[in-house]
Amino acid sequence: MAAYTAVPTHMGVIYGRRLESSLAGRVTPISELDDIDALVRTYRARIVRFIAYSTGDPDLAGTIAQDTLLRAYNGRENFRGECSVSTWLTGIAIHVLRDHQRTEKYKFWKRVKSSAIDVHEMASFIPADGSSPEGQLLAKEKVKHLARILETLSHNQRTVFLMKFSEEMPLTDISEVLGMSITTVKTHLHRALKAVRSQLGAKI
Amino acid sequence: MTTAQSVHLTEEAMNDVLIGLSLPESDAHLAACPVCSGQLEEFRSQMQLFNQTTLAWSEARPGVNLRTGSSRKVYQGIFAPAVWALAATVLLAVGLPIWNHFHRSYRNYAVVLPAAPGDNATQIAEDNDLLRSVNAALNDNEVSPLSEYHLADGPHPRRKARLEVRTQ
Repeated sequence: MAAYTAVPTHMGVIYGRRLESSLAGRVTPISELDDIDALVRTYRARIVRFIAYSTGDPDLAGTIAQDTLLRAYNGRENFRGECSVSTWLTGIAIHVLRDHQRTEKYKFWKRVKSSAIDVHEMASFIPADGSSPEGQLLAKEKVKHLARILETLSHNQRTVFLMKFSEEMPLTDISEVLGMSITTVKTHLHRALKAVRSQLGAKI
Repeated sequence: MTTAQSVHLTEEAMNDVLIGLSLPESDAHLAACPVCSGQLEEFRSQMQLFNQTTLAWSEARPGVNLRTGSSRKVYQGIFAPAVWALAATVLLAVGLPIWNHFHRSYRNYAVVLPAAPGDNATQIAEDNDLLRSVNAALNDNEVSPLSEYHLADGPHPRRKARLEVRTQ
């Protein structure tokens, strides 16, 4: 028997699910969230990617991913599965990021130090799909070009774009996680897509 | 939606399709138009390549072992009251005897000192007289080394010469 209770979490709008064993009569969490190693293995890279390309700061992404996974693991009882684990974690990451950006320590280090994503290094991780060296080079250039285009977007446009096209989140989840209306999310997406497609080549 | 001049999807209609808000007309057009469907496919493949590459890049980023942190948090959460209670007990077990020891010692001194016999005004006066007489006896018999060797009787014979040399 699955019991759904509308207990708001710290995310406000994201609800989890607790599965109960009707036979045993006791709460039995059935979730991949119970194994922190599996959690890290499955989701850490996605969170790092999302935060790194959303903020442009890979060092910050590592910290946020760590805090997000730890917070998710410690608060896994609150997850009741009304969204995917990935979406739930992305929402937590957004909140952790906002909390972090409010701190004086972050503001100080942002002033004195700025670490940016090295697109050349990133492009070197392009998957080896057996294509020719020329094909690999072309693919690298495409990836670098797209990364540079994303840097030109506003923070909201980039975040929404990554949530939609990298994290593959539904518009409703993006709206809930970011606390924006669906219309606002659509507007950001349209503007981001227009900018990306026009810079990639008017007609991709 | 197609434009009047072209048989292809407009930019807005194409974006709607990419966002997942496509109209049935757009879907029908895409099913029949290789140009528009090719554009969509190209964008999707480019995003897929970007996602694969950035995910591989993210996986290569160094991470820390969260098991330590999570177990510490659980430990703190469950056992924190017990740990604090144990610490308080140890503090009391050590601190109370020490405090009691010192408190009792001071109390004993406070009781014993006023009860010491012989500390009255007469006794003190007698002691002072005795000390004065001892002091007088010692002063009379003692000869100063300066007097003994006649060092303090007159000026040193070479002192005047030294003073003259310094003033020059």
